[in-house]
Amino acid sequence: MTDEWIMEAVKRGELQQASLLFERYNKRIFNFLARMTMDRELAEDLTQNVFLRIIKYRTSYKEGARFQSWIYQVARNVFSDHYQANKNRFSDFVDVEKVSDYMADNQESEMWDEREKLLHRSMARLGDEQRELLVLTRFQQMKYEEVAQIMNTTVANIKVKVHRAIAKLREHYFELEKT
Amino acid sequence: MEKEKLETLLIDYIDGKLNNTERHDVEQLLVADTEAFKTYEQLKVVIHAMQASAKMEPTARLKRGFEQMLLEEEIALKKGRVVLFQPSFYRVAAAIAFVVLGGAIAYIIARQNQQSKQIKETLMTMLDNQNSASQRVLGATVAYNDIERADDEIVNALVNAMNEDPNTNVRLAALEALGKFRSQPHVRKALVASLTTQKDPVVQIALIRLMVEMKEKDITNELEKISTDEESIQAVKDEAQAGILRLS
Repeated sequence: MTDEWIMEAVKRGELQQASLLFERYNKRIFNFLARMTMDRELAEDLTQNVFLRIIKYRTSYKEGARFQSWIYQVARNVFSDHYQANKNRFSDFVDVEKVSDYMADNQESEMWDEREKLLHRSMARLGDEQRELLVLTRFQQMKYEEVAQIMNTTVANIKVKVHRAIAKLREHYFELEKT
Repeated sequence: MEKEKLETLLIDYIDGKLNNTERHDVEQLLVADTEAFKTYEQLKVVIHAMQASAKMEPTARLKRGFEQMLLEEEIALKKGRVVLFQPSFYRVAAAIAFVVLGGAIAYIIARQNQQSKQIKETLMTMLDNQNSASQRVLGATVAYNDIERADDEIVNALVNAMNEDPNTNVRLAALEALGKFRSQPHVRKALVASLTTQKDPVVQIALIRLMVEMKEKDITNELEKISTDEESIQAVKDEAQAGILRLS
């Protein structure tokens, strides 16, 4: 049963089938949003929103369209809508000091070595667009083709931007490492 | 080599995207140029860090929230489609409710098949929930599924929900639950009484059908009134008419 097949059933009104899509995608979407917002609790709320929209706007799902691209588009919209609604001019960048609190829950903070912490503080310093590209291509290991589809652009464009983002990340990382 | 060009070349190298010749050229460069080598090392660190980064787990709250939301959407969908009462839907909702209610309640129900204080308490709390209609619906479905005999307190709470709750789905669920206890005299009385005061057409129709099913001849007069009442909507009047015929 493909994702597309399940979504078409949901579209026909068999809402229960959405549970299957939830099983398949909730962790991925949660990780994406958690890495974008640097706030676990918020990421859970936003993930919930994503699935709510999938169901509410099920009629807008185009038959034959790639489900994965669609759900990530919805996730991106949920993310940007949240920040539009809470328009805070000063936080185009995440509050770097709070990142460690947000990211580690009690069980995982011991596991998190210095490297991970540095990585996330560096990620926090990137702009949304660059962070998003890295989360999708490097944390979630999506292919450039898939990301290009989600963002409605070309593979070449994605590649150039990803490389620039990696270079920027390196700068922040080694700057932070010195401190 | 210009900075950006070097970085992109090194990233491709690290990603294993270069052909043999290109790889060889890069390796030569790395040996010859210590700055380039430093850049390479640093890029490798961040790229590997991203690759190795741990996946985070959402809490159980996410799944519960999703299931609750799904239930609410299904209710909304059914309500939008069909004005008339469909008992089968509430059996499905009750089945879903078991999933949604969570481990604690399922555990209680599994342990004690007959009515118990804990179930009743839970039920009363749920029916009382001011904020969530779906909680109140679930409260009514718990009553339907898990209580063998409704004592006065439960009956009153359910009757109250049936007559007063602002949410139609809650009223219907309460009615369904009361229907289960129809053999109890005080329940029958309450149902008959409700017929005279109930103004919500969806609930009126459900109530009429239930009473007809119960062969409650006492209500014939009331049905007459409803079928001629200007204020009743047509669907309700029709149901009342049909009820009169069946009961006669």
